[in-house]
Amino acid sequence: MSVLSRTTELVDPVPGDGAPHLPAQPDLVQLLTPEGERVEHPDYSLEISAEELRALYRDLVLVRRWDHEATALQRQGELGLWASLLGQEAAQVGAGRALAAQDMAFPTYREHGVAWTRGVDPLHVMSMFRGVDQGGWDPVATGFNLYTVVIGAQTLHATGYAMGMQRDGADAATLAFLGDGATSQGEVNEAMIWAATYAAPVVFFCQNNQYAISAPIERQSRVPLYQRASGFGFPGVRVDGNDVLAVLAVTRAALAAAREGAGPTFIEAFTYRMGAHTTSDDPTRYRLAGELAEWELRDPIARLKAHLSRTGLADRDFFDAVDAEGDELAGRIRTGTREMPEPTGTEIFDHVYAETTPELDRQRAEFVEYHASFEEA
Amino acid sequence: MADLRQFRLPDVGEGLTEGEILTWLVAVGDTVAVNQPLCEVETAKAAVELPSPYAGTVTDLLFDAGTTVDVGAPIITIDTGGEGAGGPAGEAPAPSSAGGRTAVLVGYGPRTTEATRRPRRSAAPPVLPEADYGSGAERPPLLATAPDVTVKPVRHGGLEAGRAAEAHATVADTEAAAPTSAVPGSGPSRPLAKPPVRKYARDVGVDLATVTGTGEGGVVTRADVDAVRALSDRPMADSPVGTATVRTEVALDETRIPVKGVRKHTAAAMVASAFTAPHVTVFHTVDVTRTMKLRQRLMARPELAGVKVGPLLFVAKALLLATKRHPMVNSSWDEAAQEIVVKSRVNLGIAAATPRGLVVPNIKDAGSLTLPELAGALADLTATARAGRTPPADLSGGSITITNVGVFGVDTGTPLLNPGESAILAFGAIRETPWVHKGQVVPRQVTTLALSFDHRIIDGELGSRFLADVGALLHDPGTALTF
Amino acid sequence: MTDTLTLGKALNLGLRRALEDDAKVVLMGEDIGRLGGVFRITDGLQQDFGEQRVVDTPLGEAGILGTAVGLAMRGYRPVCEIQFDGFVFPAYNQIVTQVAKLHARSRGRLPMPIVIRIPFGGGIGAVEHHSESPEAYFAHTAGLKVVAVSTPADAYWGIQQAVASPDPVVFLEPKRRYWEKGAVDPGATPGPLFGSRVVRGGDDVTVLAYGPMVKTALQAAEVAAQEGRSLEVVDLRTLSPLDLEPVYASVRRTGRCVVVHEAPVTLGLGAEIAARVTETCFHSLEAPVLRVGGYDTPYPPAKLEEEYLPDLDRVLDAVDRSLGF
Repeated sequence: MSVLSRTTELVDPVPGDGAPHLPAQPDLVQLLTPEGERVEHPDYSLEISAEELRALYRDLVLVRRWDHEATALQRQGELGLWASLLGQEAAQVGAGRALAAQDMAFPTYREHGVAWTRGVDPLHVMSMFRGVDQGGWDPVATGFNLYTVVIGAQTLHATGYAMGMQRDGADAATLAFLGDGATSQGEVNEAMIWAATYAAPVVFFCQNNQYAISAPIERQSRVPLYQRASGFGFPGVRVDGNDVLAVLAVTRAALAAAREGAGPTFIEAFTYRMGAHTTSDDPTRYRLAGELAEWELRDPIARLKAHLSRTGLADRDFFDAVDAEGDELAGRIRTGTREMPEPTGTEIFDHVYAETTPELDRQRAEFVEYHASFEEA
Repeated sequence: MADLRQFRLPDVGEGLTEGEILTWLVAVGDTVAVNQPLCEVETAKAAVELPSPYAGTVTDLLFDAGTTVDVGAPIITIDTGGEGAGGPAGEAPAPSSAGGRTAVLVGYGPRTTEATRRPRRSAAPPVLPEADYGSGAERPPLLATAPDVTVKPVRHGGLEAGRAAEAHATVADTEAAAPTSAVPGSGPSRPLAKPPVRKYARDVGVDLATVTGTGEGGVVTRADVDAVRALSDRPMADSPVGTATVRTEVALDETRIPVKGVRKHTAAAMVASAFTAPHVTVFHTVDVTRTMKLRQRLMARPELAGVKVGPLLFVAKALLLATKRHPMVNSSWDEAAQEIVVKSRVNLGIAAATPRGLVVPNIKDAGSLTLPELAGALADLTATARAGRTPPADLSGGSITITNVGVFGVDTGTPLLNPGESAILAFGAIRETPWVHKGQVVPRQVTTLALSFDHRIIDGELGSRFLADVGALLHDPGTALTF
Repeated sequence: MTDTLTLGKALNLGLRRALEDDAKVVLMGEDIGRLGGVFRITDGLQQDFGEQRVVDTPLGEAGILGTAVGLAMRGYRPVCEIQFDGFVFPAYNQIVTQVAKLHARSRGRLPMPIVIRIPFGGGIGAVEHHSESPEAYFAHTAGLKVVAVSTPADAYWGIQQAVASPDPVVFLEPKRRYWEKGAVDPGATPGPLFGSRVVRGGDDVTVLAYGPMVKTALQAAEVAAQEGRSLEVVDLRTLSPLDLEPVYASVRRTGRCVVVHEAPVTLGLGAEIAARVTETCFHSLEAPVLRVGGYDTPYPPAKLEEEYLPDLDRVLDAVDRSLGF
């Protein structure tokens, strides 16, 4: 059996025309079509300058370039694994650029695009996948939590953090990232219950990239994910996750509402995981190549490039400059990763507690002595 | 200058151990850029392109297309021209999967390790576990090259001193302890010894508190216990002042021997006995020729073959028979209860001089034994005691004792009671002595019996009658039929 | 000025002090606000400190702990109540994977000053899942600290110290002792939270206990004294980190050690303590370290509870066994 067979008896819970899984237009907020045309939406609009559009394009290209380089480095043994965001650049950049400086983001382990918008040094993300640390950036200074590997656990953290913001009277909100699979975790549902009960200023940003490793979305939910929110008592909206403008508009609105005390929103960014779950995954075992081909037609970068070209907002020189910047970034990431200093063993003992214990100190000393007893390798 | 780098086949799917090179996308002599696809490799279902980690010129393709290659094997050599644009400067090729690890969904994958020990630096100490160095000793600093142990062995009275600890703070059931805690028991730390040594010392009757430990930190070793035992390696009758050489301070005109071990125990027992029970001794000199002749006849009997039949056997038998007639001699004085405890069974103690000193093992319920059984028990008892192997159970519970001073050539004595008993019989050497026998003075086998008894329980009459009966039995063994 | 308070009331006062001392302290739990807690430990606190600081949560232990993590990240000091020991397990994921690890993985940038209060142990004739002793699961997890109070004074000071600790503390409260009274002097200076304490001096056997078993051990010691034996009783108080120096000092004098806990014997804290005492006091031991604990069965129904739990007789039997070596 080469591919998981679809349970065709299941009523397709996501009806729509066109390619499989693409919902009908009214159910999907879109401001930029796959062909690069600006369109209007009755509930969401976006005022955006040419400069900002070009800046978004640059974000998307550089994030993809970083992701591409990281995948290559893993293939070369420089990283233990890499969770590629290929195809999800617009969902992440659009959401990340909607955040205000005082907001706090709670990513999963794939939001390198959001890390980029928060000013996190890519090498601080690489160090985690290289196995040097558990994430090298300062979550407080960057407003971007460390990656959370336990599925969905961060949604409760985001909700609690938002409850703290309420108590501070801060004009701020949290953005809780989660995947489609995570919506099945009990803790994610508890997060939404808490958020609703306390009208906490948290926005749940779910990238429905159609797969949780090999499990298709149908395995997680019998209803479109954005409709789950009404069960908890707050608004849900589905946005075209490959449309950076729509994502930006919807997320801005949701964060503003949260900051104003309106409580949570659930945003379902409808997108597709073009790569594997992580670098040792083999997606050919559970999905058809034809699916990828269809989603390639909805590429987030291509549509924005087309729009910029067609409207004359950017020219060949601009695109070349962005590509060159991408090569430079890739080179820096490559060199920085390869030359990353190895961690020191005693780091295992540091920071286990704020106030260490005598037994831990004893073990640390024993560790040092033990390793000192060997000849230099 | 050429700087040749090799790229090894990585694992590109979960748990692959080999892959087939489907197509080369470059040829020897081509210039390649970083991440430029070098070849297509087949995974389970799809072909995967492998990006180049290096920029440079291809100098060698190590396998033909269509070959299946192990993960980790080099597949291509690229001359990076020393510019180091691709790889880390001046190093071996990038690890890739070169460590032999097979990447998995969540990381690098397992590494096969060598099954050998890593070489240690010389003169490095082994990692010291949390060792027990006694209450006063220092734990050695972890990073010292040699342990720097300050040995302060603590020796006091062990358990006894511990029990004499000062007042304890008590917390009542329903009252909270004040934040300052109750005072711990303040007895001293106990002597240090491994559990097997501790048991050994107890079994051989050595008080650990009296032993100097020569192990690290003052720990008492088995050898230390044996040294104490060896100290008292001479018969009881020898003068304690004499040839002792171990642990004596040699003064010019005196020798000092520390009081410990069996000597200490014996001294305590004698004091306890002598200054608790009022001792009276009665004497009886007896012609035991008939018993000696009987002895000769019995030695030839099959029931007593292979067993020592000595005078002690007959004295023991006589005593046991006499005790039946006078059970009060087999008793003890219970001061606390103010009762005399008369024992129904005779646990007959035999005082024995052993290499360790005086011990008094007893034969349980000796009165129920036949003569051959009694002979065997006596022989066992003697042999075991001489070997220093008397089990503790045999050293307790005695009810009456015989002490044979005759083996040393003396006639009689005034023995001290074994603590807890109320009578002890001493018998001396059996000598050929002029005696009035059938109206004539002739040489006869004569011995003296001495009975010490506790006058709180046994009056002169009882003691005398008992001793007279013992004597009568030894004088004329036939009268045993009347007991 | 010394008051006589029940352990429950002492906790209540201690929590009140903690709320007064630091505006960042937030209590969260099921039924702790309006009801004052099923054991009334938080009685009156929401009334005085408001709903933002004494929070009635929806029904979900994972939700309570997960939001506590977020609040801690935001600079608050959450004090979570788990209503009963048997219900801590839905929160176990957040406690072990997040609370215990965030400080280390963030290299100290994300402190977790979270207190997790758990009424634990049996002896109240309860229905299933209300009499558990889950301390080993937490003591075995690096990054957590675990304490168990035994007296009202301990509870009064201990809860304040736990709240003030920058590290996450699993704070175990012996529920069968909630109604027992003891002296509490709010003017006193408490000893350290992470320290064990000799609560009765003795010379023959060192008996270790914590939480509800401390009283049992003291009662056993009283009876032993009448039988002519002198037991030294140590209240361990801190289960992670363990403070065993006073225990080692004691065993070096007595040579014998017995550990008592309600939790099942196999792989309970007694096993760890036995290993450490044996390793450290090897040359002083007259007998192996013995353990008295629950049997390796699920906690029994109420009618059989007293046959399951260690009591005075079982403690003294272990003492006898130790002395018999």
